[in-house]
Formats: sequence, structure tokens, C-alpha cells
Amino acid sequence: MRIAVADDAVLFREGLSRLLAEAGFEVTARVGDGPSLLAQVRADPPDVVVVDIRMPPTHTTEGLDAARAIHDDHPAIGVLVLSAHVEAAYALQLIEDGAVGAGYLLKERVSDLGELSDAVRRVAAGGLVIDPSVVASLVARKRLRNPLDDLTDRERDVLSVMAEGRSNQAISERLHLSPKTVEAYVRGVFTKLGLQQGADDNRRVLAVLAFLGR
Amino acid sequence: MTSELVAGPLSHGSARLANRFATPVRRRTFWLGLWAAAAAAEFGALAPVLFRHVPFEPVDVVFRLVGGSFAACGLIAWHRRPDNHSGRLMTATGFALFVTPLFSQLGAPLARTVALWLPDLWVLFFVPLVLTLLTGGRLRTRSDRALVGVIVFELLVLAPLWLMFSPEQGNLFLVAPDERIAGVVDTAQRAVFVAVPVATAGVLAARWRAASAPGRRALLPGVAGAACLLLFALLVVVGLVTGERSQLLLWVAACSLVSVPAAFLWGLLRSRLARGGLADLFRGLRTMRPGDLQAALARALGDPALLIAYPRHGDLGYVDGDGASVVLPDADGERSFSRVERDGDVVAVLVYDSSLDDDPELVEAIGGAAALALENAQLHAEAQARLAELEASRERIIAAADGERRRIERNLHDGAQQRLVTLALQLSLIQRQIRRDPGDAELLLTSAGDELSRSLEELRELARGIHPAALDSGLEPALDALVLRSAVPTTLSVVPGDRLPEPVQFAAYLVASEALTNVAKYANATAVTVRVTRDDGGVVIEIADDGVGGADPTRGSGLRGLTDRVEALGGRLRLASPVDGGTVVTAELPHRDQADVSH
Repeated sequence: MRIAVADDAVLFREGLSRLLAEAGFEVTARVGDGPSLLAQVRADPPDVVVVDIRMPPTHTTEGLDAARAIHDDHPAIGVLVLSAHVEAAYALQLIEDGAVGAGYLLKERVSDLGELSDAVRRVAAGGLVIDPSVVASLVARKRLRNPLDDLTDRERDVLSVMAEGRSNQAISERLHLSPKTVEAYVRGVFTKLGLQQGADDNRRVLAVLAFLGR
Repeated sequence: MTSELVAGPLSHGSARLANRFATPVRRRTFWLGLWAAAAAAEFGALAPVLFRHVPFEPVDVVFRLVGGSFAACGLIAWHRRPDNHSGRLMTATGFALFVTPLFSQLGAPLARTVALWLPDLWVLFFVPLVLTLLTGGRLRTRSDRALVGVIVFELLVLAPLWLMFSPEQGNLFLVAPDERIAGVVDTAQRAVFVAVPVATAGVLAARWRAASAPGRRALLPGVAGAACLLLFALLVVVGLVTGERSQLLLWVAACSLVSVPAAFLWGLLRSRLARGGLADLFRGLRTMRPGDLQAALARALGDPALLIAYPRHGDLGYVDGDGASVVLPDADGERSFSRVERDGDVVAVLVYDSSLDDDPELVEAIGGAAALALENAQLHAEAQARLAELEASRERIIAAADGERRRIERNLHDGAQQRLVTLALQLSLIQRQIRRDPGDAELLLTSAGDELSRSLEELRELARGIHPAALDSGLEPALDALVLRSAVPTTLSVVPGDRLPEPVQFAAYLVASEALTNVAKYANATAVTVRVTRDDGGVVIEIADDGVGGADPTRGSGLRGLTDRVEALGGRLRLASPVDGGTVVTAELPHRDQADVSH
């Protein structure tokens, strides 16, 4: 699998490239800003782009802008945005146009190579990846009338893992539940929250995130 | 009214107004003589009509009365405004109108010749009078001078030329009687008396269009005069076409001439009327709010654009009633100004249309009447200005604090956090390599160790930037640490004293820190001294370098922010930076609440 890496901090960029190579990915481009990334993507489209959210010139959300541009021009390329912020708004912005193959991950996750390569593979396959901390902040959000109060603890756990963009298979592995039980919990969650079960995993994630981000 | 009275209690800002005091004060006998001469001339001109019962045209009586009215109004105006030439021009017009009637009564050939030569002498004074009402009787523009030049040419060249060929009785200029040549010259003269009025009216029409409301009031007699001149031009044209003088037009033209002194007198009286309105102003003043004062004075002066500028205490310039900055106009512009004083202090400056300079008594009277109210309004304006400054400074302090938070957030994200993430990544690499390739793992460890040291260094710098820990043990240790890090060799001297209140010593520290940063960046200095001294209830910190000087206090937000901080503590920040003379930054910081803080 071919990957382009964009981050203006050289040491981090090189370390990340090396880690990805260790994990068996082929790093095809290493750049330091948005425009160079877009040029590289045009010249030699990779399967996945891993991009830092803060890059020159303003060091704010250049990474998000680059992600949107890549989604618009190359819908097949997965984009994983690395960020220093636990900001649900940024994560939701990334997927708000119903984009597929998109992920928002905290930067420190890169120290866990398994987690990193899992996220890369999922966005490459067109899935959605939302950092657990971001999901936790959404779930923990205080609401005037909180429908989440109607959920059991187990249902809330399932909801959280679902919001990270995981499949039923992954949920059952993570929570040590049988696939049948997971299905039952998922149905329960959707019924209690009054949501429509989407036709695929991505729609399910989007529906849950839209609900949480409301 | 005499001109001494004009000096009054007020001093004037306008150079033009100062002129009037330079005009020599004329003796009473001078005016008595002129009035006597005018009365005698009027009497002499009317005498044949009144006593000798000689045949005369009724319209001639009108002309002679017009002369008298010009002389009388002119003398009043001249007396009232010795600096203004309009009065003199009007007086001269009046006397000029008497020349031909008086001299024609004398039998001597010389007098007869003068009477024949100068029947139109009055035009020489009347046209400039009409043209220069806005400039106090002074010819300022080229068109004004050209018009007067044409009249002079008529009087000095064409009129004598006509006399040389005109077979009039008692004509001393006669060279050779020739009806044909005399006719040609006469036509040229008539052409001049058509062209000059039309051109004068054109010039006045253009000025009227460009004039302000008070300016138009001052122009009114000029417009009346231009209308008269046009009537005379029409008379000449009708004469040329029909071959005879239209009696009706002559009557209308002669009577209309009276409108000029009448309009001028009305202008003078209007001033007095406006002063009558002063009583209304005075009654309203006691209950008037500062904001309404300007509108009330504008009404009383008849200048809707009137502006009251209040001087700030401590030579801080002028502000309007809302505390906004005001710049006084230049002398000799379209706006003039006059200072209003109370007990020797300027409490306000009235900025008004320059045409009101013609009526300085009115401006003075209104300023004088409103002096007390203006003094109150000045205090109000001062308070407004201070409030505006306070709000601006508060906004700057908030903006500076926001900017500082943004800077800290960015430093944390891009600095320490980025390094720690990289460190985590390196540890992950080390974990994988430690068995497979111990040599590579060792290299990675060295790099990770460096990264960790840099993270710590950055965090330390950041923390010091937020609040130096050394300040906890007092100003001197903190300044010691600052001086130690200074890029330019720096000596520190601190006069020992009681512990300073927290905000005061932090402000002093920040002044020193910013000043030393600026020295390193801009001053090109070889040595700096930081001195802390104490005076009554306060501390003074001074940072002096031997660099290039020429520092601009408005450059950068750093110094502005420090000024706000120092002033918020009731102190003062000063910058002395002559070119090539080094730079000295001094902050005086009072700490009145020291006693409270020490308990």
C-alpha cells in the first residue's frame, strides 16, 4: 500500500515514514506543506495520505483544507488527518460532506504502530476513523435532555466504539462479546436514539456522529 | 463703537484678526472732518436744486442722494472696521459720485473739465467694493485686478482721449474738435461700461455658487451691486440701440444703487440683531447640556458648521464635545478660530466660517457670553476624552492578553507538544529496533534524549515568558536573571528598599525585559545600564543604552502595551531617543497602596 506523508516537523515526518515502512507500507512522498502534498498527490496518487492538521503558513487547519481538496479531486484516496487537538468540530468537519475513506486521529497514537496501521488500512478501504478521545468528548457532552441516559452502560460502550468507525466484528473483538450480542446492542442503541440503521458501516457511523454532534 | 473696544477680553487666533489691532487708531477729528466733508458735499450737490431753483432732472437728485448714502454708510463701516477696506471703498464711491455735480457748478474751466472728465469715477471704487466683500476690500484674484485695470484704462486713457476731440464748452483738454473721432471713442467707452458690469456679475455669480451660508450673507451687498451694474450696462445697450437714454431704466438703475449701502447696512444691523438673539442664548445656557452648546452657538452665529474645540489639560491638543481629537485650521483658510478665555485660561476655541471675521464683535460677544458654559463643557469634553482613552487602553490590554494567550498556545502546540509526540514516536521505533539492531536503537535513544532536553528548555523559556519565577523573591533577583541573559553587556544597579507590590514589580520587570529586547534588536549598543531608584511613594526604573537612538515610540505594539500597563498603575513611561544619542526608557511607578500590601 502506497502512502504520502505531510508534516512540517522534519524529525516527526521522517520517524513516521520509517514506522510506516516498518509496518510494511510504501511511503511514496514526504512533504512539509499543503500545496506540495496536493502536487505530489496529483503527480503520483497514493492509496492513503497521512497529513498533519497544522502546517505552514498559518499553522491552524491547513491539513483539513488539504484533506477536503483531496476528497474532492481524488475520492478514492483515503485521508488520515493527524491532530494535536481533541476537537470534535474538526473531526466532524472532515466527514460532514459524507466523505468516505477519512480519519481524524490524535498525533500521539502514532506511537502505537498497530493502531496506526489499522487506521491507515481502514481509511484505505473507504472506512471512517474517529479518535476514541474525540468520541469520548462527544459522548460525555452535557445535554439538557440526554437520550444517552436511556442507554445501558454496555450500550454506551457499543455506541462509542461504533462512533470510532468500527465494524460489528471489531466491536465484538474489542468488547469481548459475541457477534450476535453486539448486533442486539446495536439494534437497541438505534431504537432508543430513534436512528435509522444505515445500509453500510459508514452510514451507521455518520448517523451516530451526526447524533452525537447535534 | 471704537476700535479699542474690540480688543475686549478675548484674544484671537486668526492672523487676519490681529491685523485690526495693527491699524493705527484714528483721531476723533479725522472722523469729524470726514463727516463734515460728506455733509458739505451733499449740501453742495443739492443746494442748486433746493435754493436756486435752477432747472434739473429729478433723477439727478436721486444720484446726489445715492452719493450721500454711500458716503454715510461707508464712513460708518470704515469706523467700525478700520482693518476692512470695504468701508473706505464705499466712502470713496460716495465722494466720487459728488465730483461731477459739484465741479459742474463751478464756473472755472478747470472745474468744468474735471466735471466732464470724471463722471464715471465712482465706478473705479464701486467695482472693487462689489468684488472684494469676502476679502475685506482687498483685490486678491487676477480677475479682480484685471477688471479694475480696465476701469483705470477708461478713466486715464479713453476719457481724456474723448475730451481731446469733443467740442464741449470749457473743455481744457480740447485739441481738435472732431465729432467722428469723439464718436468712436465714446463707443469704446460704452463698450467698457457694458463689458465690465457683465464680467463683474459673472465673477460674483461664480463666487456665490462656491460660498458657504455665512459667506453668502457677506456677499449679499455684492450681489446687489452686481445687479445695479448690469442695469447700467443695460442702459448703455438700450442707448446704443435706440439712440436715446431710457428715463425709466435710468430711474431704476439710480434707485437700485441705494440697495448696495442698504444691503451693507443690513449686514451690520444683522450683526446687532444676532446679538439680540444673544439674550435667548444666554437664557438657555444655564440649563443647557454640553452636547447642545455647539448647536446653540451655531444658531447664534449663523454658521451651521461651527465647531467648538476644547483644549486638553497638559498640552494634549484639542477635542470636540465627544472627546474626539480636533485639529485647528490654518490661518487664512476657509475656517477661522477664536479662543475663549476665562480667568486667563483658554476654555474653548470656536472654529467658524472665515467670513465671520468681518464681525469679530459678534464672535467675541457670543464666546464671552458662553464662557462659563464653555468652561463646564470643557471639563465634560476632558472627561469624555479620558474615557475614550481609557476604553481604548482597556481594549488594547484585552487584545494584548488575547494575543499573549494565542502565542502561548502556539508555543505549546508547535514546541513542547510536537517534541513530545516525536519522542513517543521515537520510543516506538526504539522498542522495535532494540533487539533487531541495538546500534540503531542507541542512535535513536541519543536523538530522543536531545529532543527531551529541547522540550524541557522550551517549556522553561515559555514559563519564564509567562511569569518569571525569580520575581517571587523580588525585583532585584528577577532583574539579575534578566541582565544575565541580555545579549548586550548590561550593568544593574538597584537602590534597596521595601518589597514592591506584585503588579508594580512585574510592570518594572516587563519594562526592563522589553527595553533590553529592543536594545538587542535595534540599538546597536555596546553597553546598557538598568537602574532602579526610589522616590516618594514610588519606584523609577531606567534602561539606558549607548546605541544609535532614534527609536520611534509608535513602532511596534510592545512599547504601547507597556505604556498601557504602566499608566494603568498610575505611572508614566517615557522614551528619550535622540538620533546617535542612545535611548533611555524611564518608567515611574507609584505604589500608593504599598502600606496595604505589606500587611
